[in-house]
Amino acid sequence: MKNKLLATIKKEILILIRDKVGLSILFIMPMILILVMTLIQDSAFKTINEKGIPIVLVDNDKDTLGVSIYKGLKNSSLCFLSDSIDGKPATSESARNAVAKGKFLIGIVIPKGATNAIRKNVLGLVGETMNTNIVSKNAKDESIDSVNIIFYIDPVTKKSFISSITSNIHEFIATVKTQIMFQSFSDQIASIVPSGSSPPKNTYAKSQIINYKEIYASDLVGEMVPSAVQHNVPAWTIFAMFFIVIPMVGSILKEKKEGSAFRLHTMPTSYLLLINGKIIVYVVVCMLQFMLMLSVGLYILPLFGLPMLQLGNSLMAIFIVALATSFAATGYGVLVGTLASSEQQGAILGSLSILLLSALGGIWVPTYIMPEIMRNISTLSPLNWALEGFYKLFFRGLGVNGILFESFKLFIFFIFTLGIALFINRMKRKV
Amino acid sequence: MSSETIVQIEDLIKIFTDADEPAVKGVSLNIHKNEIFGLLGPNGAGKTTIISILCGLFSPTNGKVIIDGLDLYVDIKSIKKIIGVVPQDIALYPTLTAIENLEFYGAMYGLSGKDLRDKISKWLEKLGLTKAAHRKIETYSGGMKRRVNLIASILHQPKILFLDEPTVGVDVQSRNVIIEHLKELNAEGTTIIYTSHHLEEAENFCTEIAIIDYGEILTQGTPDELIANTPNSTNLEDVFLNLTKRKLRD
Repeated sequence: MKNKLLATIKKEILILIRDKVGLSILFIMPMILILVMTLIQDSAFKTINEKGIPIVLVDNDKDTLGVSIYKGLKNSSLCFLSDSIDGKPATSESARNAVAKGKFLIGIVIPKGATNAIRKNVLGLVGETMNTNIVSKNAKDESIDSVNIIFYIDPVTKKSFISSITSNIHEFIATVKTQIMFQSFSDQIASIVPSGSSPPKNTYAKSQIINYKEIYASDLVGEMVPSAVQHNVPAWTIFAMFFIVIPMVGSILKEKKEGSAFRLHTMPTSYLLLINGKIIVYVVVCMLQFMLMLSVGLYILPLFGLPMLQLGNSLMAIFIVALATSFAATGYGVLVGTLASSEQQGAILGSLSILLLSALGGIWVPTYIMPEIMRNISTLSPLNWALEGFYKLFFRGLGVNGILFESFKLFIFFIFTLGIALFINRMKRKV
Repeated sequence: MSSETIVQIEDLIKIFTDADEPAVKGVSLNIHKNEIFGLLGPNGAGKTTIISILCGLFSPTNGKVIIDGLDLYVDIKSIKKIIGVVPQDIALYPTLTAIENLEFYGAMYGLSGKDLRDKISKWLEKLGLTKAAHRKIETYSGGMKRRVNLIASILHQPKILFLDEPTVGVDVQSRNVIIEHLKELNAEGTTIIYTSHHLEEAENFCTEIAIIDYGEILTQGTPDELIANTPNSTNLEDVFLNLTKRKLRD
């Protein structure tokens, strides 16, 4: 038994290392994939972070609200703000045309008298609250119009960008309203308290007692800042590891096509033993792929100005998840190779199913932005289990205990796919 | 020649899933030890199906098969240890050398170490392949591949050797070498069960022949008996055409 297994392993290794093109595809392509995908995604983030979303602002208000929005957007790292188009001051019409032509992703038009309208609205509220008609006698006389800030949006703009900008604008308006309200209350209080006492100054600035601090909830030591590298390296590594299915399917079906499988079926050797030899070799290949791709994250990506991949707190846990992922990928390869009846069929079935499982598993887009039904389905993808495992290590800084469930599911998937493959093989021979 | 039966087939039936009619219709055969048994028939007659069942490639629908005293249904693992199969297609790994292929297949028969290496060397030398032993199979000629294909099935000295068209597509020299060594193997005690469309070769090579068509045995006997018992026949080809007629087969 041992000799047979060793002979099968030796045969698989010899076939693999003599296929120079196949071997280079197995190792070089995943490295290029990680490099390209990480650089692309990082540059996409950088475009937004460094230059910002191109926005044109038409300020017809020329008062507190207009100035506040202008200053706020100008100082925001999210935006690249302009108030002119082709050297001329932007108007509502020219802003609309410029956005339609794609020169800007978003155009914002603040109407004339917007601040005044807010002021009247606030003064009315203050007057009602203080139960006095002194402050609001002018305001009461005038009708209060609602303020319509117009957003022109390029249809190609991502909804998340629009949400970010509109929420910023809402915050600026709220700030201006609060400032006016504070000032009005302050003035009212000053008018009713006995003379000689001085009204409070800079009341709004003093009221800002709540500050925000963003801290990533992670057990990782030091400053853990999620980056494109941290996201992409595990995701594309898993994707590439599962693509071991293609050479595995090729190997299984080539044996059928070349007649070796026929001969082997007539020999006193079980199909399981032959497949085990293949699995051992391809699991080692997967692990080598994994190490190479981690090396890209550790040593190659920093050469392109990207942050270095942080491996978390437990190398043993990384090894366990990687091994479980390798077994799951090879088990799936055996299943597809046993199911398919030609190399073409196997290649199509293998590659399309991996694309599907990777899309479902959150390799392409995060599962948290998926609709609920898709989020539920995604939990069935082994690529999702592997990704969850690596995220727990690389982002949350967990150890072996943290990834045992994901690893267990991946090993069960391996046993399940192998069992199905053996059953199908037996059924195929009972024609 | 021993009269002891080594392969006993009784009322063998094979119906493939979705097939209109049985591929094998109640075949009964007795093959004796040390025979060179030829199973001849036109395309689609059922030869390969019978051989595939005897090798354990797929199970029969009905019937009884005893090989060297072992029941095919019960002892298939033991049967596989004492048989060798030379498939019609070259069943070798093209990117491995002849030695690497033979080491792998030898190991699958449970051979190892010096014993395996000695057997490989012996057969490579006998079949004139020693010089090319370290070349990849993909660089071999058709005849050389056929010879390695044969060696891969006889390294473990099987009691019964199944040959499915072992000399198809090879030159006369290679064919003669293959037939010569098969006879040698038979003389050493291996029973040979052989299928071929090469009727002249079968007439000279086989000690017993059965002609099969449409899944049924039409006749059985020594080549001389078949020629003598079939009217207007002077050779095995005449016997074959008289029994299977001239209608073209799919």
